[in-house]
Amino acid sequence: MAEPLAQPVSNLIQAFSRLPGIGPKTASRLAYFLLRADDEIALNLARALEELKARTLFCSVCLNIADQDPCRLCADPQRDPTVICVVEEPLDVQAIERTREFRGVYHVLHGAISPVEGIGPEDLKVRELMARVRRSLETETPVQELIVATNPNLEGEATAMYLARLFKPLGLRVTRLARGLPTGGDLEYADESTLANALTGRSEL
Amino acid sequence: MFLRRLWLDHFRNYRSLDLTFPQPWTLLQGGNAQGKTNLLEAIHYLATSKSSHARVEREVVGWSASEEPIPHARIRGQVERAGQVTELEILFTRRAQGNGFTKQVRINGVARRSLDLLGLLRAVLFMPQDIELVTGSPSIRRRYLDVALCQIDREYCRHLARYQKVLAHRNSLLRQLREGGARPGEPRVAAELGFWDEQLAEHGAHVLARRYAFLARLEPLAAAQHHLLSGCQERLHILYLPTFDPGHLGPQGLQELRAGHYRAPRAPLSPPVPAELAGRLQAHLETHRARELAAGATLAGPHRDDLVFLLDDRELRAYGSRGQQRTAALALKLAEVRAMAAETGDTPVLLLDDVMSELDARRREMVLEALSEVDQAILTATDWEDFTPGFRAQAYRLQVVAGQVRAGGKD
Ligand SMILES: [Zn+2]
Repeated sequence: MAEPLAQPVSNLIQAFSRLPGIGPKTASRLAYFLLRADDEIALNLARALEELKARTLFCSVCLNIADQDPCRLCADPQRDPTVICVVEEPLDVQAIERTREFRGVYHVLHGAISPVEGIGPEDLKVRELMARVRRSLETETPVQELIVATNPNLEGEATAMYLARLFKPLGLRVTRLARGLPTGGDLEYADESTLANALTGRSEL
Repeated sequence: MFLRRLWLDHFRNYRSLDLTFPQPWTLLQGGNAQGKTNLLEAIHYLATSKSSHARVEREVVGWSASEEPIPHARIRGQVERAGQVTELEILFTRRAQGNGFTKQVRINGVARRSLDLLGLLRAVLFMPQDIELVTGSPSIRRRYLDVALCQIDREYCRHLARYQKVLAHRNSLLRQLREGGARPGEPRVAAELGFWDEQLAEHGAHVLARRYAFLARLEPLAAAQHHLLSGCQERLHILYLPTFDPGHLGPQGLQELRAGHYRAPRAPLSPPVPAELAGRLQAHLETHRARELAAGATLAGPHRDDLVFLLDDRELRAYGSRGQQRTAALALKLAEVRAMAAETGDTPVLLLDDVMSELDARRREMVLEALSEVDQAILTATDWEDFTPGFRAQAYRLQVVAGQVRAGGKD
């Protein structure tokens, strides 16, 4: 019988294989790579993982992942708080920031409506968005426009229509990114100029 | 349209096959379970990117595939059309985990979507079990329309695919609303269903309008074929049975149909107006909220529609003889060949699986006449004697034995 694996090694293999897209083979390869690599590489990874959980949080305003609350974007006085760009995922914020076209603030839904997967509006950060908009109406900078930048697929469209129905009665402008984004795709993969054009050419829902 | 060459790897009982079709008519002879039908199904698969009779798709990958490091099956064909040769390929690879396999499509060696395959090779397949078109469940008749129309019209296929996605979401949502005890009048019901209603109506209207238009072309052709095949004076009629009022049936029309009071139309119906259909379907959904919530499912739309076959006023499914049902099914398939040619300007490859043995001399004659209208026909038979010596002399003859094909055969 072969020598059993040392406990720390098999622990690490186990941990890796729980990650998405990583099978047992890749998990072993990664574990043995770290075992043989310079200490610095393994320790850096360990520190990064620890900080990921200890030093990140959800911004209480926009629900984006941040290292401070409110996040840098929400706290920035240069950003226009009356225009909110609503996205599905934190990565979509990065995609739109890269265009440098948008000077407003964000709201991250953490998903899209998908009845087949059992995801309804109550599973998204819609209630938080409603509270945020309502609160703003009492201030000097009430929200005036929601730009719905959900993905250009069926689930994204369903989410956009739902938000339009919900927020238009409050007197808000609800707009959608212009068509021209590759349909069926993800926002985060759209190239910068396409995304910038979609943003400037947005239309009323 | 002409299939020049066909390659199979591990497709059903074929380990490896490389077959050339040099002549317009190919006659495949072989005993039962030797692979005649599998060969026709492979060609039909290449044309439609779907299994021909809703069989379990994993049966596509044959047992011999397990000899390979990565189990797979492949259908590849060379299609000639107006002097241009296109190479089509479908590769099936077994998934590493779970059941089933992934399907990859290549056109001229370049990876493409399944949708891109449609229309590059068109085929009409007729098999003995196609009598189920008349006798079987409504889903068989819907599938018939969908497979025929997808080959003719990619727009149809796009709308159909979208419709099916929307339908799955909408059914899930209706189930969830039912479990949550939602009432039809509640604002959240309208808010959550609104988008799916609109989408279902939009894509459903396109599907329905196209089906009606296709049927308007197909129906008289089928009636004419039927008359020739049967020699009888009763006229074959095909009625479309919708699940909501499409607006062109007249006030009594839909009620009569839904109640099963079928009668031959006195005059051809004008097809419904597509733009109106969406509005009508959406209105129907809104007025039937309570029923749909109770059922937890979408009750109206093209996914629930059906066709009815009549001989004069008599419904064939309930009152026809076996022979009459078979003749009607064959008439429908032969009419499909002509309807497809009329819609696309190009004749499909006609695939006839063991049809002759069931027919008398007169009907055989009619089938052979249909062969002369297409560029290519591939037929199977258990006995060479099913075909006249004259026909055998004109056909390229092949014998199928245990997944192997060799040239030759009886004169
Ligand atoms: Zn924030």
